[in-house]
Amino acid sequence: MRTTDQPDTIRPIASHLSLHLNREWLDDLKSRHDRNGPWDDWTMFQLALEAERSRLVSTFDELQCLAHLPGLTPLPHQLDTARKVLNQMRGRAILADEVGLGKTIEAGLILKEYMIRGLVQKALILVPASLVLQWVRELNQKFSIPAVAQKKHYMWEQYDVVVASIDTAKRDPHREIVVNQEYDMLIVDEAHKLKNRKTTNYQFVSLLRKKYCLLLTATPIQNDMKELYNLITMLKPGQLGGQNSFQSNFVFSKRTPKNEDKLQQELSKVMIRNRRSEGHVEFTKRLVKNIPLTLSPEEQALYDGVTDFVRGRYQEAQGVGNLGSLLSLVTLQREVCSSRDAVFVTLVNLFKKTAEDSPVRAKIWELVETIRGIKANTKAEKTLELIEAIGDKTIVFTEYRASQEYLLKFFKEHNIIAVPYRGGMNRGKKDWMMDLFRNRGQVLVATEAGGEGINLQFCHHIINFDLPWNPMRVEQRIGRVHRLGQANDVKIYNLSTEGTIEQHILSLLHEKINMFEMVIGGLDTILERFEKSTQLETSLFKVIMESSGKDEIRSRLDQLGQTFQEMKRQVEQESDARPPIGAILDAVGSTIPLQREGR
Amino acid sequence: MKTKQIQKFVMRYLEAQQCRIVEKSPAHVTVKLSPQADKELTNRTYYWSFVERTGAAPETMTFTFIFDKEKMEPTAVEPPPPRSPQAPLPATGPGAQPAGESILGRYFGVSVPSFAGRIPQEELFFGSRRLEQIFGSVKAGGRCVNMFEETDRELRKERFADSLAFSSWLCVNYKVELECDMKRDEFHSFGIHLLDGRIVEGFYDRLQPLKLTPKLPANVHVRPNVFTLTKAAGMLETFLEKKLKSYDHQWADEAKERQAEEQERIRGYYESMLQPMEDDKKTEVQEEYDNRLEELNWQYEPRIRASVINCGIFHLREDTVRSN
Repeated sequence: MRTTDQPDTIRPIASHLSLHLNREWLDDLKSRHDRNGPWDDWTMFQLALEAERSRLVSTFDELQCLAHLPGLTPLPHQLDTARKVLNQMRGRAILADEVGLGKTIEAGLILKEYMIRGLVQKALILVPASLVLQWVRELNQKFSIPAVAQKKHYMWEQYDVVVASIDTAKRDPHREIVVNQEYDMLIVDEAHKLKNRKTTNYQFVSLLRKKYCLLLTATPIQNDMKELYNLITMLKPGQLGGQNSFQSNFVFSKRTPKNEDKLQQELSKVMIRNRRSEGHVEFTKRLVKNIPLTLSPEEQALYDGVTDFVRGRYQEAQGVGNLGSLLSLVTLQREVCSSRDAVFVTLVNLFKKTAEDSPVRAKIWELVETIRGIKANTKAEKTLELIEAIGDKTIVFTEYRASQEYLLKFFKEHNIIAVPYRGGMNRGKKDWMMDLFRNRGQVLVATEAGGEGINLQFCHHIINFDLPWNPMRVEQRIGRVHRLGQANDVKIYNLSTEGTIEQHILSLLHEKINMFEMVIGGLDTILERFEKSTQLETSLFKVIMESSGKDEIRSRLDQLGQTFQEMKRQVEQESDARPPIGAILDAVGSTIPLQREGR
Repeated sequence: MKTKQIQKFVMRYLEAQQCRIVEKSPAHVTVKLSPQADKELTNRTYYWSFVERTGAAPETMTFTFIFDKEKMEPTAVEPPPPRSPQAPLPATGPGAQPAGESILGRYFGVSVPSFAGRIPQEELFFGSRRLEQIFGSVKAGGRCVNMFEETDRELRKERFADSLAFSSWLCVNYKVELECDMKRDEFHSFGIHLLDGRIVEGFYDRLQPLKLTPKLPANVHVRPNVFTLTKAAGMLETFLEKKLKSYDHQWADEAKERQAEEQERIRGYYESMLQPMEDDKKTEVQEEYDNRLEELNWQYEPRIRASVINCGIFHLREDTVRSN
């Protein structure tokens, strides 16, 4: 426990209770009295008293924080969670809500409440590096909590609320300092990183001294019941007994528990798990529109030229059994679907790398020459037309930096305020771009969708300038916008270029997999299984390269789509016959019928 | 505090700090801070030490504080500038000053006021950082007072030919915190008569109707105290202690029970782990065990803390405060 400089006078009040009287004030008063001053201003005296009285908390268990957060309207399940953690779990809990239900809000409410009550002064928040600034921003803006991102080593001690990445904190010279602090509250986000007690993460966090502790994770258990046990032990050692007694009391097999009722009862003392209600009624709709367009003859010539080139190289490589350069070929094929700018850089690089006497060199140069012949960009023009028709904030996604730069320049020429966003930007710049887009810009041109923490619910138009060949990335793009807190139906526009491979891919993703319109539960699981033998991207490439014509491409893609559907059905069936541990986890929490206006 | 109360509170603060009100409406105030208030609120220690060292004329900051955003005329509300998370309060860090300023200003917080620059706007709501800061400022600046009751001059002349005798009270405003893993607070204002040792509860509220002045009024004398301040403080503490003893402390008993329960759980866990271990491996586990037990005490151990918000000596007419 932290001790103050001035020792208090301690007097017993009841058998287990003593009164700590602070007497600092008396010396101050006496010295002023002896010297007849200086005395403080009467108005300030009155104001000081009013301020303190306004902050008094008169009950043990009523939430105070809402009075301090006029700008925040938490959802009912978030408030329930906060109350439960404060009054029943005594400030130590695993918050295991499903993704998107606002674990951060819950943790913020709990932290704020303790801070208002003066029970927490010093807090440490350990999060993945990519989330540090987002946490800092949320705590400051939504909760008026003066949190800082740890940057210099003195900050551990000088600031009360520090957000840091666990990887930084556990390293020297930080480790020593952090381990020697006493934290009134420790919050660990993405706490499933603590599931294995042999890891340095786990060992480091168990060294920390803390009063209250929140572990946030959407997946408290992934493969093994031991993971759950380890998490709970971090929070409250012994809650599920010792390691051996846990094994014998609760574990039937790795993923199957026994004594379910008892286990569930114990879990509900330390864990809260809110889930979305079935059917995803809380989400607004996804409206998909494919915009067909025809390339100009010059563009089509480039497309055909590159495709032929790639195909030729592919067959050569196959002939000698050397598929090492496959990746650059896939890239080239994908790039040519995006824009001439994207393909240009790769072609030039390829040209430089190719031996001077190689006949390929001339072919490459021919293609580069074709690019020069292209004057207009049909896709960009169509995009502009769309944006003008939409007349609202729109995100344009592209896979390629060169396409992004072209688009930015193109929009600028047409007096549309467009803001770039890409993975290579640091957090500060990303935040800045986000603010610019929100406050000033009409268009965000983004190359990255997976970046955690970009929340774009204020926008509901997406244009897919080109398509990732990986469904997961498509879902990530849409997921940035189509999430909890999105009040409008999300409109997705796909540019579908006639006579290119992209048209086939779009039909696979859209018609066969029905990727755009519905949230596919467990998409990652499906893909994982699907890709067990080979990468989806590679399979697609092979289909394109090896097919003799359009019809063959179509039928082979149909097959891929069917396999995917098959996997999907399997996964769905399995999740219906959910393993018991999942059922138990779910029973710990409540299902929340969320409204559209949710945050 | 509600919006209106906050507004009244802040206006009184600004006035007490001698700030210059530039503009005000029912929804906002634009104010040029006094040097005192600037030092308290803008965190520009660097700048102020620069001013003090060089004797340069200080340039204080101007703010617009918004009390009621909804009633604020829309044209007057600018969107807040994008804040960098490290300097979440505009105008507290050098980086938050209006754009277009000199390098010097940006890196050292040196004055260089840009009159053309926009005035930082801030919403003051209960729980906002700025209001918390003002709370901190009044707390530091309103700790100890010495006040006299002002009496009607005419009345004094008529009724008392000689000077009027005042007696002194020590008023102590306690914040009492009852704390375990949860916490609630109480406020107690006690006054003790320094001549006869009487103690009166709710003393501060009884002062409210009085007119008070920091200067000894003419024709008034203060009777010498019988009790020293130390003695009086001791008597108040005993009084408080007695009062608290009479409470029902079920909350503390329950916290103790929770603590015992948790200790039991932890003991079971660690002892089953320590038992089969060889001695040389025990130290680490033992250390973790001790840490966990210590955390439990920290979390649950019930205690009551009494601290003093502020205190004052009040010289009053004998019949002003009657015992209850």
